[in-house]
Amino acid sequence: MATLDLDWEDVREQLRTWREDNTRHSEEVVDMWDYCLKHYKHKLGDERWMVEEQVVVAGLDCYRLDVAEPSLVALNDQFPGSLRVRKLKAMRLEALERFDEAMDIYDSIIRQDETNSTARKRKVSVLRGQGRITEAIKELTEYLKIFMSDSEAWQELCDLYLKEADYSKAAFCMEELILTNPHNHLFHTRYAEIKYTQGGLDNMEIARSYFSQAAKLNPNNVRALYGLFMSCTQVLSSSKMSGPKKKETQQLATWALKEISDRYSKCRTNTMDGSKILETFKSLSIMDKA
Amino acid sequence: MAFVWARLAFFAGIISLFHAGYSAAQHRAYMRVTEQEFTSLPTDISIQGFLSLLMAMYGILYIAGDFKEIRANVQLQNKSWETVGNRPTFYTFAHRGRALSPNYSPPKATRSPLDPIDSLAAGPHHQE
Repeated sequence: MATLDLDWEDVREQLRTWREDNTRHSEEVVDMWDYCLKHYKHKLGDERWMVEEQVVVAGLDCYRLDVAEPSLVALNDQFPGSLRVRKLKAMRLEALERFDEAMDIYDSIIRQDETNSTARKRKVSVLRGQGRITEAIKELTEYLKIFMSDSEAWQELCDLYLKEADYSKAAFCMEELILTNPHNHLFHTRYAEIKYTQGGLDNMEIARSYFSQAAKLNPNNVRALYGLFMSCTQVLSSSKMSGPKKKETQQLATWALKEISDRYSKCRTNTMDGSKILETFKSLSIMDKA
Repeated sequence: MAFVWARLAFFAGIISLFHAGYSAAQHRAYMRVTEQEFTSLPTDISIQGFLSLLMAMYGILYIAGDFKEIRANVQLQNKSWETVGNRPTFYTFAHRGRALSPNYSPPKATRSPLDPIDSLAAGPHHQE
């Protein structure tokens, strides 16, 4: 086990980065806590409670109740009557699939503190965990009427609509997200992908422009470059465009293809030979000329 | 090594700045005692104050850590959908990953696996 050799300060640092970056890494968190940091918790000071909370969520995520429960007990002893700890308790019930009891706790939290947004969001996840997607969507739209600027909730709503294959509504959610952060290339890529999935010439052209924007914001976004190439090919194959416009699209497709193959030829190493990928791209470009 | 020098410069600068301030106060007290009109600080005190300010500024630039990029999209450059699309407050725990846990026991099947697929899928926990 590699984590055994780790210094506890490094582990603390690693957990802190994960907490701040909002990454999932539940399995690693559980392992690092279990093998290393658990024995140093008295040295953590006030940060200990943040770590314990992180461990509870990670433990529940991996269904490692043996790891999550001691931390939950410790948190409960430290902060009796805290709403945040009560939310964690309800999350444990969720992991045990006692959804109704969890729902009751969330309702009681909301009664006590109407502005508590996390409890409302958890209610959506309870519904989603049970596979009741349409009800979850309804609950989440109610939530978004109150907390309109919550980008995380918009993302969740987009995801739920995608699950229901309601692409135009999902695209609307993505538009909201682009408005909250116009510099995020990932939102642009995602929006373009939704439009691409919707199909049709108009949507293809929108997808093409958003893939271009994403590639402009981050030239290393290979997914956007590939999407740009695909959407250009689609536009070319389906439309009766005039000469210069058609040529422009053609050029854009060739450019995207060149960018991708440049990237792959750069990362060609001894262990991974990129020539196969390049061949595939070549065959794609022949299709594009035909 | 550069870090040590920066620290040294910072502390020397702060001490020197404090000294300049103290000298200025002393100067004013002296002026009052000798009943002279206070017009301006002596040049040496002003120069000392200015130089030590510069020194402290130079030092703190190295101590405070690296600069952040001013362009808004640079921090997102290396992120992937894995992190940006992750929503910690919306975690659901009824996912297939829990089957890997040592303390997970699957719910007892009430139907036999030979039943039609749709009746299995209708169970509450088979969808994510």
